[in-house]
Amino acid sequence: MKLARRATPADAAPVADPARTLAFLADLSQAFAVSLDLRKTLPEAINRVADFMHAEGASLFLLDPATHVLECRICVGPVDMTGARLAIGQGVVGLAVAENATQIVTDAATDPRVWRAGDEASGFVTKSLLCTPLGTAAGPIGVIELVNRRDGRSFGPEDAEMLRLIAAPTSLAINNARMANDLVEQQRMKREFDLARKLQKSLLPKRRRDAFPVLGVNLPAHEISGDFYDYFELADGRIGFVAGDISGKGLDAALLMIRAASLLRWIGKDGVAPGAWLARANEELCETTHDGRFVCALVGYCDKDATNVQFAGAGFPPVLVYRRGAFSEYESGGPPLGIMAGIAFEQHEVELNGGALYAFSDGATDVRNAEGGRLGGAGVRELIARHATAAPEARLRALLSDLKHLKLVDDTTLLLVERPRVHDAQVLLEHHMPARAEYLREMRNVLRKLLDQLGIEPGLRDRLVLAVDEACTNIIRHAYGEECDGGIGLRVSRTDDVLSFELTDDAPCVDPGRMRPKPLGECRAGGLGIALIDTVMDTWHVEPASARSGNRLVLRKRIEDKGFA
Amino acid sequence: MSGIESEMVDGIVLIRLSGEVDLSWSQQVRHAVLAALEKHPAVGVELSQVSYIDSSGIAALVEGFQSARARGSSFALVAVSDAVRAVLELARLDRVFLIVADPAAMTPG
Repeated sequence: MKLARRATPADAAPVADPARTLAFLADLSQAFAVSLDLRKTLPEAINRVADFMHAEGASLFLLDPATHVLECRICVGPVDMTGARLAIGQGVVGLAVAENATQIVTDAATDPRVWRAGDEASGFVTKSLLCTPLGTAAGPIGVIELVNRRDGRSFGPEDAEMLRLIAAPTSLAINNARMANDLVEQQRMKREFDLARKLQKSLLPKRRRDAFPVLGVNLPAHEISGDFYDYFELADGRIGFVAGDISGKGLDAALLMIRAASLLRWIGKDGVAPGAWLARANEELCETTHDGRFVCALVGYCDKDATNVQFAGAGFPPVLVYRRGAFSEYESGGPPLGIMAGIAFEQHEVELNGGALYAFSDGATDVRNAEGGRLGGAGVRELIARHATAAPEARLRALLSDLKHLKLVDDTTLLLVERPRVHDAQVLLEHHMPARAEYLREMRNVLRKLLDQLGIEPGLRDRLVLAVDEACTNIIRHAYGEECDGGIGLRVSRTDDVLSFELTDDAPCVDPGRMRPKPLGECRAGGLGIALIDTVMDTWHVEPASARSGNRLVLRKRIEDKGFA
Repeated sequence: MSGIESEMVDGIVLIRLSGEVDLSWSQQVRHAVLAALEKHPAVGVELSQVSYIDSSGIAALVEGFQSARARGSSFALVAVSDAVRAVLELARLDRVFLIVADPAAMTPG
C-alpha cells in the first residue's frame, strides 16, 4: 500500500475553497454509501483524503473495543505502518483517542508526543502530523493521521478543521458497516440456533397414544435446551428410558446433547444393565469430551406394566418413587458422565406396585417459588402429591403448568414411569352455560342429578356441587369480570375411581398464583371460595385452554368405594 | 323460591332467607343485613328454609357479623338448615357465628 506522491503545483496552495471541500465530502460519503465492505471502501477513501489534504502520507487506526489497542489498518504514503499497534495515550495517535481531540504537531523532531520508532526504522523524516479521532456517540473508534504537508509547511488549524469534517462521514461509515456486520452475525447465529433446536426436537421420542409406561416432557428455559429424554422398546418387550442434562448452555452444549442422546440410545438398545450402560457411555464421552462439559443422566428399563424398574443415575438428581401417599428417594449411582473414565455405576431395582417413578432434571428443583427461594426437593414432592390423582398425561401437564408459573431458571425435564391406565376417561356430562350468576342454579341442578345417578352420598354430593359452583363463581367474577357475554363449559369425567370436573372459559388467561386459598376459619369475606374448593377437592389447577386465550380449571376428587353407591 | 323477608320478633329484626343463596342475589342479602344492622341493635338471620348457600352468601353473613361486632350489636344465625350448617362447618366458621335455634335465645341490645 505504498504510493509515492509527487509534488504538484496545486500542492503548494491547499484547501480553503468551500465549493471544493463540499464536493470532496459529498464524493467521500457517496463512496462509503456504495458498499458496506470496508476492505474496499476504506483504502480508497484514505487515498483520496491524502490527496485532498495534500499530505505525503495518511493512515487509519482502528480501536479494538475488546483489547483497547489501536491498530493501523490502512496506510498510504512513503512509509507503510499497516499493522502497527499503539495503546490508548501512546504517541500522537493514542493521544487523539485518549483526549478525544485533534492533535497538531508542527515540529515532529522536538515534540515529545511523537512516537519515532517508525522513522528510525525507515529513514523517513516526519516533520508535521495531524491526527483526528473518529468520533461516535459511544466515543472514538479510531484515528485518521496525516503526515507532512507536501508543500513542506506544517499543518495548521485550517487543516485540522478540514480533517475534522472528513472524519465525520468516515466514522459514520465504519460504524454503519460494523452494525450491519453484527446484524448479519446475529442472523447467522439465529439460523444455527434454529437448526440445533429442530435437531434436538427431532431426537425427542414421539408421544405414545397406546398404553405405554413411560412419559416424558421437556421445558426449555432458553431457546435451545441442554436437556433431553428418550424411551424405546427392546426386542424382549422391555422398555428403555433415558433422561439427561448437559452442563452449560448455548450451541456447544446443544451439540453435546445431541451426541450424548444418540450415544445413550444406542447403548441402551443393546439391553445392558443400567450400571454398565452408564459406564460404557462414560468411557466414550471421556475419550471425546475435553472442554470441561459433562452429562448428567438417568437410564433404566421397565416392563410393559411398569411393575419392576431398574435404573442408574450419573450425577442426576435423586429419583422419586411415589407410592400410596409416601415417597422413596434413590440417589444417583455415580458422578456425571465425561469427567473420569473407569468408573462403575451403582444401579437400583424397584418394585413399583402401582406407584409412580419420577425423574426430574435439576431444573425442576432450581425453579424459584413465589418467595424467590429454590423450590427444592420438598417443593417438588409437594407438587407431585398435589397432582397424584390425575391421569399421567394430565398430571405431567399440571406439574409443568405449576413449574411454568414459577420462574424457570434452567431447562426442566420430567420423566414419569408408571403402569399405564387401562381405562380412558369416561365422559359423564357436558354442560354449557352463559357466564352469568343467574345460570348457576340450573348448573347445580344438572350436576346434583348426575352425582345422584352415580350414587354418591348426599353429603359428598353437596360438597362437590358447592366446589364446582364456587369455581364457576370465581370464573364469572374474576376471569370475566362483572358483565360479559362469555360462557363456561363444564365437563365431568371419570377415570377409574377419580371424578374430574373441567371448567373451560374463554376469558383472558388468569395467573394461578393469584388463586390462593385463604386459611379456613378466618373471619374474612374474601378468598373463601378458593378455600372451599381446596378443601373439598383432592387436587385442582388452572391451565391455559389454548395458546391464545381461555382457561381450563380442573378439579379432581377420588371417590372411595363407599362413595359410589 | 329464593327470597328475603324481614320482620320484628321480640325486639329483634329477623331477616328470613329462603331458597338457594348464590352469586345471583347474595348482594341483596348483604345489603339487607347491613341495612338492618344500621337501624337495629339486634339482628338475626333465619336460615331454616335455605337449601343452598355459596361463599358469596357466607361472605354476606361474615360482613354482618363484623359490622355488628364493630357497633357492639347482636348478630346471630337462627335455625340454621343442615345445608347451611354443612357449608359453615366446611369453612370452619360454625364456631365463629352465634348460632341459635330461635330468636328468643338472642339477648337484645
